Amino acid sequence: MITAFGYFTIALAFLLTVYGLIAACWGVMQKSQPWIESARLALLMIFPLITVGLIVMLGLLIGDRFDVAYVSSVISQDMPPYLKLTALWGGQSGSLLFWNWLLAGFCALFIFRKWQDDFVFLPWVLIVMFVTLGFFLSLNVFLEIPFERLWHFPDGTRLLSVFQPFGAQSLVPSDGQGLNPLLRHPGMIWHPPALYLGFVGFIIPFSLAIASLVTGRHDRQWLAIARPWTLVTWVFLTLGLVLGMRWAYDVLGWGGYWGWDPVEVAALMPWLSATALLHTAFLQKRRGGFKRWNTALGLLTFVLVLFGTFITRSGVLSSVHSFAASDIGLPMFYYLSLVTLGSLGLIIHRWPSLHVEYEPEFKFSREVLVLFSNLVLLSILMVCFLGVIYPIISELLTDTQVTVGPAWYKRINGPLFTLNLFLLGVCPLAGWGGTKIFKLRKQLVVLGPLSLLLPLAAWLYGDVRNAYALVAVWLAGASGLVILGECTHTVFVLNRQQPGKALKALVVPFQAKRRYYGGLLVHLGIVLMSVGIIGIEGLQEETQVTLALGESVTLSQYRFEFTGLENYQSQDSRNITETVITVFRNDSPVGVLYPQRDFYPGLGMAITHPGLISNLSRDLYAILIDWRPVSQDEATFRIYINPLTNWLWIGTGVLTLGVITALWPKPAGKGGKAHRPK
Amino acid sequence: MTTLRSSGVKANRLKFIIAGSLFLAALVLMVVSATRKTAEFFITVDELQKSHEAYRGQNLRISGAVIGESIQLDTESGLLHFTIAHIPGDNDEIRNRGGLSAVLSKAVKDPDNTRLAVTYGGPKPDMLRDEAQAILTGTLTEAGEFHAEELLLKCPTKYEEALPAQVGN
Repeated sequence: MITAFGYFTIALAFLLTVYGLIAACWGVMQKSQPWIESARLALLMIFPLITVGLIVMLGLLIGDRFDVAYVSSVISQDMPPYLKLTALWGGQSGSLLFWNWLLAGFCALFIFRKWQDDFVFLPWVLIVMFVTLGFFLSLNVFLEIPFERLWHFPDGTRLLSVFQPFGAQSLVPSDGQGLNPLLRHPGMIWHPPALYLGFVGFIIPFSLAIASLVTGRHDRQWLAIARPWTLVTWVFLTLGLVLGMRWAYDVLGWGGYWGWDPVEVAALMPWLSATALLHTAFLQKRRGGFKRWNTALGLLTFVLVLFGTFITRSGVLSSVHSFAASDIGLPMFYYLSLVTLGSLGLIIHRWPSLHVEYEPEFKFSREVLVLFSNLVLLSILMVCFLGVIYPIISELLTDTQVTVGPAWYKRINGPLFTLNLFLLGVCPLAGWGGTKIFKLRKQLVVLGPLSLLLPLAAWLYGDVRNAYALVAVWLAGASGLVILGECTHTVFVLNRQQPGKALKALVVPFQAKRRYYGGLLVHLGIVLMSVGIIGIEGLQEETQVTLALGESVTLSQYRFEFTGLENYQSQDSRNITETVITVFRNDSPVGVLYPQRDFYPGLGMAITHPGLISNLSRDLYAILIDWRPVSQDEATFRIYINPLTNWLWIGTGVLTLGVITALWPKPAGKGGKAHRPK
Repeated sequence: MTTLRSSGVKANRLKFIIAGSLFLAALVLMVVSATRKTAEFFITVDELQKSHEAYRGQNLRISGAVIGESIQLDTESGLLHFTIAHIPGDNDEIRNRGGLSAVLSKAVKDPDNTRLAVTYGGPKPDMLRDEAQAILTGTLTEAGEFHAEELLLKCPTKYEEALPAQVGN
């Protein structure tokens, strides 16, 4: 009964998208406000409907309803309740339901805003949202139905259906298969929802860009509305990606922290185009122009979201992250093609009217730097796209599939990311419209020597000899210095004006120029994240060794001693092997590592949890690879020293703080006009 | 804001075009060189065993079914040894033969199937077990063994929604 009710809610939500689409189109054709209003209400209704369906699904998961096919495929009795809830997004149909819920939520929240002189956009925004929601809901209603139950006939045939087929009896397995052990991790709580939020939200710049193209209203208004939504979505996507990295770092099997897997690359692509969009949107606000560029990026970002969804859910490419090959591949491909060609056609049609009225002058100015960093971001994007589709193209052209892997991406994207770090670093030195040379010289005289200290320290104390790593460390340090210098400079100036009020001086510019300082903080976050990535990519040390109990191995300045092995049964019937490694530096103990391996007998699978000791300068990271029967007390480990890795996570925190600063509401009564300290 | 005289506009635009083209040219060079050095041919075990010569020295990507009893970790060298059996490279063909898990299972049990010995230096992955699909990246050694630098594993049972094995009343 309850499954039929759940199905009914999403089917009704789907019917509402059909009605809403017709109402919105009719409203536009007849210029009838009531029809558009009716469509708006229909859109607002979809979210509560899917919410009910979602609650039903969660109830089925928590209630161990193994007669529901989805539940028995992702749940088993021994799973803790929080994991049973997260199993909602542990399989294809459930995660589609969750996706639809978030998409509908984002759309409803956006439609809720007050539409005034921009009312002209509303029907088109609605139409885009109805088409998108309608498509994804139709997958849930017709192809990947989370509410299907298991049935069997007297002759033994089995069937999946929401409703009881005639003559069939309900089939109730005593236990389910359970969630893939790789997904049984706290990372499952935060990573998929953040990532999904970071995807679905891009429907807002997309629908607004479409609305601006269709209505011919090409002024900055659509971007002004879209900007905060894009920024929020962008930060969710960033968090989603980094949470995924952290999860992969904490569990072996996902491959380090970033493996350039097609699905990872596909998730990075909308991040790159959205980053580019946020920058040129700022340029358009500041200088005008860039209309074609921004409209194209607004469209592209969501197309890339759909592309990534297609790659992940269709099973066209082999990846650790993808779902099983599924029937939804073909419809998704058609939908993706339709959206891509539609967007392309529309922007080509409007190309002449999106004319340029501003061209920056070619010199050392912020405008030019932003433009070039955009070019670099989009180059990385193109490289990523090429990498993902390379196997498909090569097979079409040469009949042999040729694929590219992490080495390929690193060779090309490494220098590109470094170049962007450089552009990001020097940007605050350049003024709008150009910089006076004497001012620049003054700054470089101070910053130049200071920035060399960091690579020097790395050379002397860190024994770093890798030229690329040294350059990267220098760039990261210099960029950080420039950003900090920009902040302290303002504080000094204000403090000189009002002596003794240093604290106020610190707060006032942040209040008045939240966006600017928010942006600087985001950049500082990116610099810190780069430090972490440089550490793990360029400075990592590793060794693999088999140790008998009591033996030790030395790596860099650390001595790792194998001091214990324990094998026991956990309450949820995992067979856990836990090893103990005591770490010494100059014979004084640093800490203890517990590399561990959990075996799931029911599934015949093992999950390896690395041991980790972490501080700001390095992570000591050990993986238990194999062990002999307890009598011999011998085990094989792979041990890594990952310098600076913690800064990757810290940088993400700083970045998030920066976005919050930039989006913080204006203080009341200040009129909102930003002022610059003189 | 700087306004440019119309004669300056062209020169200004030219500077952008030159700088952009230089950058793009460098990018294309990087892509070409990276592809030459690291791109991998995706082939099947059959294709590889038929023409060792053609593929020796190339970067290869190869997919096969892991034979469980062949998995061995050499604790001296830290190298992992195992053997994979041929499976078709084409998704449609796999589907026609009853899906990935059926194909993998058949590939492992059929002794006439072409096989390939593999060594791998990385940590032993959790999902390396009998009838898993291994996707390997690496090169063919002189001895005809496959030296894998990367190892990606897929166990179809986790992903494909099969009806549960244990069924109550």
